[in-house]
Amino acid sequence: MSIIIPELIVIGTAFAIVLADLFMSERTRVVIAPLAALGLLAAIAVNAIHTPVTGELLGGRFAMDPVAWWFKILFMTAALFTVLLSIDTLDGRAGVRARGIGFRGEYYSTILFSVVGMMFLVSARDLATLFVSLELATLPLFVLAAWRRDDPRSSEAGLKYVILGALAAAFIVYGFGILYGLAGSTNLDVIAQRLAGPYTPAFLLAVALVLAGTGFKLTIVPFHMWAADVYQGAPTPVTAYLSVASKAAGLAFAFQVLYRLFGGWVPHWGLLIAVFAALTMTLGNVVAIVQHNIKRFMAFSAISQAGYFLLGFLGAADAGVPAMLFYLLVYIVSNLAAFACIIWFANETGKEHIEDYRGLSLTNPLMALALMVALFSLAGIPPLSGFVGKFFLFSIASQAGYHWLVAVAAVNSTISLYYYLRVVRQMYIEPPADPAAPLRASMSLSATVAILSVGVVTLGIFPMVYDHIHATTIAWLASLAQG
Amino acid sequence: MTELLARFAPGLQEWLVLCAVLYAIGLYGLLTRRNAIALLMAAEIMLNAAALNFVVLNRFTSPQLVDGHVMALFVVVLAAAEIVVGMAIVVALYRIRNTVDISHMNYMKG
Repeated sequence: MSIIIPELIVIGTAFAIVLADLFMSERTRVVIAPLAALGLLAAIAVNAIHTPVTGELLGGRFAMDPVAWWFKILFMTAALFTVLLSIDTLDGRAGVRARGIGFRGEYYSTILFSVVGMMFLVSARDLATLFVSLELATLPLFVLAAWRRDDPRSSEAGLKYVILGALAAAFIVYGFGILYGLAGSTNLDVIAQRLAGPYTPAFLLAVALVLAGTGFKLTIVPFHMWAADVYQGAPTPVTAYLSVASKAAGLAFAFQVLYRLFGGWVPHWGLLIAVFAALTMTLGNVVAIVQHNIKRFMAFSAISQAGYFLLGFLGAADAGVPAMLFYLLVYIVSNLAAFACIIWFANETGKEHIEDYRGLSLTNPLMALALMVALFSLAGIPPLSGFVGKFFLFSIASQAGYHWLVAVAAVNSTISLYYYLRVVRQMYIEPPADPAAPLRASMSLSATVAILSVGVVTLGIFPMVYDHIHATTIAWLASLAQG
Repeated sequence: MTELLARFAPGLQEWLVLCAVLYAIGLYGLLTRRNAIALLMAAEIMLNAAALNFVVLNRFTSPQLVDGHVMALFVVVLAAAEIVVGMAIVVALYRIRNTVDISHMNYMKG
């Protein structure tokens, strides 16, 4: 029973917020965000301290394992920081007030429901649980993307997201249907066992459909086209959440599909994964160079990062799983740190073009420094955590014999450094637009940026984080081999 | 009449072809239509084809179990939820833009 407590805490907080919101006046609604943050913090604490790392519930349809444990911590951390970053925008404390982004009770509870879906996703051991939790994770994201009802761009982003999301869901569920028909069971492990053997045309069709759906969630080229418009049109805190939590959920779904469902075949699909990884990295990076809107720029940056994640599926699982989890942690922290600065800048000035960042090192040096460190970490500059994360992933591809792919990835890292430096150049070399008007940051936002920046710098320096992930996930792989 | 119908009762293959055709109709609609509501209808057809697929496969592969039926119910519910969210967004969009034609959805470009 105790393995489901973190989920129950998050669900309880979400419903408590929805109900409390009904009886609150507009002035007292400022307590909603701290309430949501406290609920998430309590769930993280319970998950980290109290929850056993193995166990199962509901007849084995809901199971806990070390990898799910890590994913849950990461999902909740991403949501916690998103809540902290949303406070200024939603309370209207921003310098330039965003119109039509109120409804705090609904906003925070929608985020929490989405997190619950992701948490169930990693624990699902059944096609039904897996599909329902996947939809529970993504349906709130459609709503969040369209949150600003009077902004045509936000509604447009929501519409594009919901239609392509429905298409992805249709791919996945039709693929699941064929798998169910072939195996006669909806249990993931049973399907994997019964389908072991030679390929059949129906099985290949199911694989193609499920992998295409996974590609949509993880923004793998050629299924990435929704990302740029959705990231640009969604409210900025929602974009931050999409870029980290939705990507983490996509990776969790890829884990379920590639390690649990098709675990026996994945070693033979190395070339396919390598080609998709190369395409995703290259397209994301090349298109990011010409972007002017910083949210769209970050969207293509996030697409290229998805390509780096795919490198982890190439090698043996005992090396790939910890490397991908560690890079996910690094990516979440770095990307949130970058988005914290972008949210802050949009709040203060209402602008979101890269050229608008000119002279930021003079108007607010600390924020400029934080944004620079975060972008350098995403590019993989040595002392920062992004370098260490990429190093593990590249070494896996290299050990698996994909030297050409490592070369492609290294070239891509260089390209990405070029376009991240474009932002840094605007901040540090170009003069400010209107002279000497210092921009201030609120306490909550400054504190969040400080915590995230410390994470960006230290995660790569202290090796025990990676060692801990590595040590705990080995047990998961042993259990996978038995099942 | 019933005897005649029973003699030509569709088997697994006919049902699966029906599902595939429905799915393909939905996919075609999703790729060619320009009206947002028609797109949502097309997505609904695809999801319902998948639900029918589960019912058919349950009937012909393991009729003593109900796994496929349960899955089909979940798919129907989730398709409905998806369409509710989609329609809400379409209504919000229509209020601002006075159109739901997706060929006009180009406020953002890169």
